[in-house]
Amino acid sequence: MTVANPQQTFPGRIMEVTLPAGEGGRSVSVGGQTALPLLPEGERPNAAAIGIEIRTGDEDLPPSLSHAFGGKGTDPAVLAGNLVEESGAQFLFLSLAGCHPDLGGHAVSRGAGIVRDVLQAVPCPAIVGGCGEEETDALLFPAVAEAAQRPVFLSYADEKNYRLVAGAALAYGHGVVAWSPIDINMAKQANLLLGDIGVPPHRVLIDPLTGGLGYGLEYTYSIVERIRLAGLSGDAALARPILCHLGDSWKAREALDSAEESWGDVIARGRRWEEATAWACLAAGADLLVCRHPDNVRTLRGMVGAPWR
Amino acid sequence: MTEPLFASCIRGARAVLALARDSLSDAIARRGPEGSLAYPGTAYEIPVVFGLTDLEVTTLRGAEPALSLAEGMIRDRPTAENALDAGAATLLCADILEALGHAEGRTYPAPCVGFVPDSVLRKLGIFMVDGSVPGVAVVVGRASDPAVAASMVRDFQEVGLLVFLAGDVVGQVEASGIKMGEDFRTFPLGPLPAVVHAVNFAVRAGLTFGGLGRGQAEPMLSYLATRVKAFVCALGPLDDLSLAIAAGAMKAGFPVLSDQAVPAIPGALLSCPPGEEMVRAGIEARGIKAKIVKVPVPIAFGPSYEGERIRKADTYAEFGGGRTVAYELVTSAPLSEVRDREIRVVGPDIPDLEKGGALPLGLVVTVAGARMQKDFESVLERRIHRIVNFGEGTMHVAQRDTTWIRISDEAVARGFRLADLGTMIHAKMLSDFENIVDRVAVTIHTREEDVRAGLAGARTVYAERDARARTLTDDAVGEFYSCTLCQSFAPNHVCIVTPERLGLCGAINWLDGKAGYEITPTGPNQPVPKGDERDPVKGAWEGVNAFVREHSRNTVPGFNLYSIMEAPMTSCGCFECILALVPEANGFMVVNREYAGAETPCGMGFSTLAGSVGGGVQTPGFMGVGKQYLLSRKFLAAEGGLPRIVWMTKEMKEQLGPALAKRAGEIGMPDLLDKIADETIAVTPERLREYLEKAGHPALSMKPLV
Ligand code: SF4
Repeated sequence: MTVANPQQTFPGRIMEVTLPAGEGGRSVSVGGQTALPLLPEGERPNAAAIGIEIRTGDEDLPPSLSHAFGGKGTDPAVLAGNLVEESGAQFLFLSLAGCHPDLGGHAVSRGAGIVRDVLQAVPCPAIVGGCGEEETDALLFPAVAEAAQRPVFLSYADEKNYRLVAGAALAYGHGVVAWSPIDINMAKQANLLLGDIGVPPHRVLIDPLTGGLGYGLEYTYSIVERIRLAGLSGDAALARPILCHLGDSWKAREALDSAEESWGDVIARGRRWEEATAWACLAAGADLLVCRHPDNVRTLRGMVGAPWR
Repeated sequence: MTEPLFASCIRGARAVLALARDSLSDAIARRGPEGSLAYPGTAYEIPVVFGLTDLEVTTLRGAEPALSLAEGMIRDRPTAENALDAGAATLLCADILEALGHAEGRTYPAPCVGFVPDSVLRKLGIFMVDGSVPGVAVVVGRASDPAVAASMVRDFQEVGLLVFLAGDVVGQVEASGIKMGEDFRTFPLGPLPAVVHAVNFAVRAGLTFGGLGRGQAEPMLSYLATRVKAFVCALGPLDDLSLAIAAGAMKAGFPVLSDQAVPAIPGALLSCPPGEEMVRAGIEARGIKAKIVKVPVPIAFGPSYEGERIRKADTYAEFGGGRTVAYELVTSAPLSEVRDREIRVVGPDIPDLEKGGALPLGLVVTVAGARMQKDFESVLERRIHRIVNFGEGTMHVAQRDTTWIRISDEAVARGFRLADLGTMIHAKMLSDFENIVDRVAVTIHTREEDVRAGLAGARTVYAERDARARTLTDDAVGEFYSCTLCQSFAPNHVCIVTPERLGLCGAINWLDGKAGYEITPTGPNQPVPKGDERDPVKGAWEGVNAFVREHSRNTVPGFNLYSIMEAPMTSCGCFECILALVPEANGFMVVNREYAGAETPCGMGFSTLAGSVGGGVQTPGFMGVGKQYLLSRKFLAAEGGLPRIVWMTKEMKEQLGPALAKRAGEIGMPDLLDKIADETIAVTPERLREYLEKAGHPALSMKPLV
C-alpha cells in the first residue's frame, strides 16, 4: 500500500528582498521561501524580520508606549537610536506623522531633515512613511527621497499616488512599500503598475493593510494567506514579501483604555494587544512586522528563529 | 524632394564632428590626453555616449574613440536612414563638444544654464513619472516674431511641460519677461548646439527612471521614443547645423515641427505655423495629456455631490425632462478631426433665461483616441450621467433622448454657464477613460431647430447601437470578460460577463467589461477566451472554466453559464435579484433587492436568501443575477428558460413588464406574465401551486427539476 505524501510543494518562490543598511548596520533579507509558514517542508532561507516604528509629531502615546519610551528621549534620532539598540529591531520604520496638518504640521523640509538625522543616528535598514495626508505626502515623498542619503523604502504607494512614490524611489534608488486595502487583486495590480513604471521587483514590499486584533485582523490574516498562496502557486506579481504594520492594534480601545479596571493593567494590555496581532500575522505568512513596543520586538525576535518557523 | 534635406543633415553632422575634433585636440594640446573630461554633477559621464554606446569616456583621450564611432555613422548617400544616423552622430559629437566646454569652466552667460545636473533631473523626473510633467517641449532657433515664441513658452508652461530653449529664442523669450528656471520648469540652455543638453537630460531620464544601463542603445531609443514625450519646435530658417540636430532628435523619436516649408516626414518632421497651432500640433503629436488637477468650473465638483437632488423651487434652468426637446450623444471620430478642449455653445445660454426657464438641449460629445472603439461610445455616453451629477448644483436624470438636466439657482449665481457643462465632461472623460480617449470636444446646441435636426441623427445612432447590441451574442463573440471587483469581500467570486449575461450587480455588461479592460489592462476586467465548447446548452467552455479555476484560486472548478441547477455561477453579494428553487412548483421564484417582505413561496425574503446565496459559493438551485438577465435568450437555458419562472415580486413585474411580455411573445407564450404569481397572489408553496395549476403555468408540465 502506498500512502500519498501529504507535503505540499509549490511551483513558485517568494522573491527575496533586501533592505540595505547604512554604514555599520546589518542589512535584512526577507522572502525567498517556497512554502507556507509553520510547516516542516520547503525552503525558508530567511526568518521574518521585526522592526520598530518611531513616529514624529504631537500624538498622545498609548499608556503602554509612553511607559516603554519613558526616558528614552524625545528627539526622533535619539529615540530611534535608543529603541533600536535596546530592542534589537532589525529595521526602523520612521513615520513622519508630524507633517500631518493635525499632528504638528511640520514643514516638509523639517520632515526631510528628520529623515537625514535619523538615518545618520541609526545604521539599520529603514522604511520611511508619509503622514497620510495626500497633498502633504505629494511634497514629502520627493523631499524624503532626496534627503535620504542611503537607500530606504518609501511607504506607501497606493492606487492614487503610486506614480509619484515610484518616481521618487527611482530617482534616488529607493524601494517602495505597495499598499492595498485588504484586497488581493489590488495588491497584484499595485505590483504590476509599479513594474510598468520601472520599479524593479526586488525593491517592492506588499503592505496588505493590517487590522488590529478585534478590528479586522481576521481579514488581514485571510488576505496574507491568500497572497502567499497565490505567490507560491506561481503568480509572480504576488510572490513578494509581505509587510504587516501593527500600528492599528494601538487604535483598539482595548489597547488604550485605562478606565476599564476589569480589563486589567493597561500597560501590559496594550503591549499584549500588539503582540497578539503580531503572532497572527506571522502565522499567516508575514515576512516583516512593524511593532511599536520594544518588548514585542524582543519577544518576536526570539521566536521567529525557532525551528518551526 | 527630401534628398537635399538629408544631404544637409549629413553635412551638418560632418561640421559638428569637425568642430568637436578641433576642440578636442585643442584641449589635449593644453591639458594632455589624460586631462579629465566630465560634466559637473552627473553620474553618467557624457550621457549621450553613456546611453547609446558602450564607450567609457572620462578623459580627453577617451573621447577619441567616441568621435571615431560618430564618424563611422556619417555616410554620404542622402537617404533617410543615413540622415538619422548622421543625426545620432551629431548628438554624440555635440555632447562631447559641450562637455569639453563645461570641463574647462566655459559657461554661457545668464540666463543660460548649459548642462542640467542630475540633481535637477531627479527632482523633475519624479514629476515626469507622476504625470504632472506630461511632456517636454524643446524650442530652438529664432522666431520671426518674438511675441509668438513667448506665447508658445507660456502655453507650454500652462500645460505643465518641461521646456528647453536653445538659440536666439532664449533672448527673445527672456526679453518678453517670461519667468524661466527650475521653478518654472523652463531651462534656457544656450546657443543652438547647447540643445544637446535637452537630449542628454532625456537620456539620463532613461538611465535613472527607465532602469537602463550603459550602452543599451535599442532600449534607450525606445525609452526616449515612448516614455519621454518630447517634441522639438524649430523656429526660423534651418541651416545644416540645425537640420543635423533635428535629425538627431528624430532618431531619438522626438518629432520636429518647423515653421519653414520643409518636406513632411510623417511622425518625424512636419511643417506648421508657429504659435498656438504649433503648440497644439506638438502636444498632439506626442499624445500628451495634461493632468487636470482641478476641473476649472465655478461650482464644486466631485463624487460627494453625486446624490444631490435639485428641487423645482431651486432650479434656475432646465433642459429636457419633457419640458423641452433634448438629447445627449457620444460619438467617436478620427484623431485628426477632433480638437481637444474645444467647447462650443451654439444658441442661447443660461443668462438668456429667466429663473425657472427651459431650453432645448443637444449635448454632443466627440471623442478621439488611438485605442477608442465605436463600441465604447455607449459606455462613455452613460458616464455623462455621473459626470453632470458630480457638479454641486447640476443634476442629471435618464439618458439618450430622455435626458433631463437641472441647474440650480446657486450654481447660476456663481457664474455657471453651459460651457462649464462641457468643461466638466471634457475633464472627466479624459481622466476616467485615460487609456482610450485622447481628445474630447463638446458641442451644446440650444436652438430648437438645431436640436431637432441633431436629434434625428442621434436617433439613427441609437438605433444602430441597439441593432449592434442584438447581434452581439454569446455565440458570436470569441471572448467574454471577467469581473473580479467583488473579490474584495467575496474572495473567490468571479463574474463572467457575456453579451447575453451581464454581471449580477446589473452594472457591468460585456461592452463595459471590454472597455474596462482597455482602460485599465491590469484591472478587474480581463478578457476570457471561451476556449473549447463543452456544452452549448448549459453554457460550458474550457476557457471559462480555466479562468474561473485560476481566479478563484482553485476553489471553484468552473461553471455552467446558463444553468442554475448544475454548477451555477457563484454569487458575490451585490446581485440585483435572487432566483430560488421552489420544488413544489417545479420552477423558480425571483425576488429583487428592494423587496422588503419576508414572505415568498420559498419561505425566505431577499435578505435571508442573500445570506445563504452570497459569499462567492456555488449553491445549486439558488443564484444571484442581474435583472436584465431574465430577458436574455440564454436565461436558464439549461433548465428551460423563462417558462421556469413561477413567482416574481410585483415590483419586478412592473419594472420589467413590457420587456418581459415581449420576450414571452418571442418564445410563443404571450400570456406567460399573467401566469407568473406575485406576493399578492401567493406567498406559500401550496397557494402558489394552486394558482399555477389554475393558470395553466408551463413549468408544471416541464421536466422535473429535482
Ligand atoms: S457583481 Fe458586478 S461588480 Fe461584482 S464582480 Fe460581478 S460584475 Fe463585477
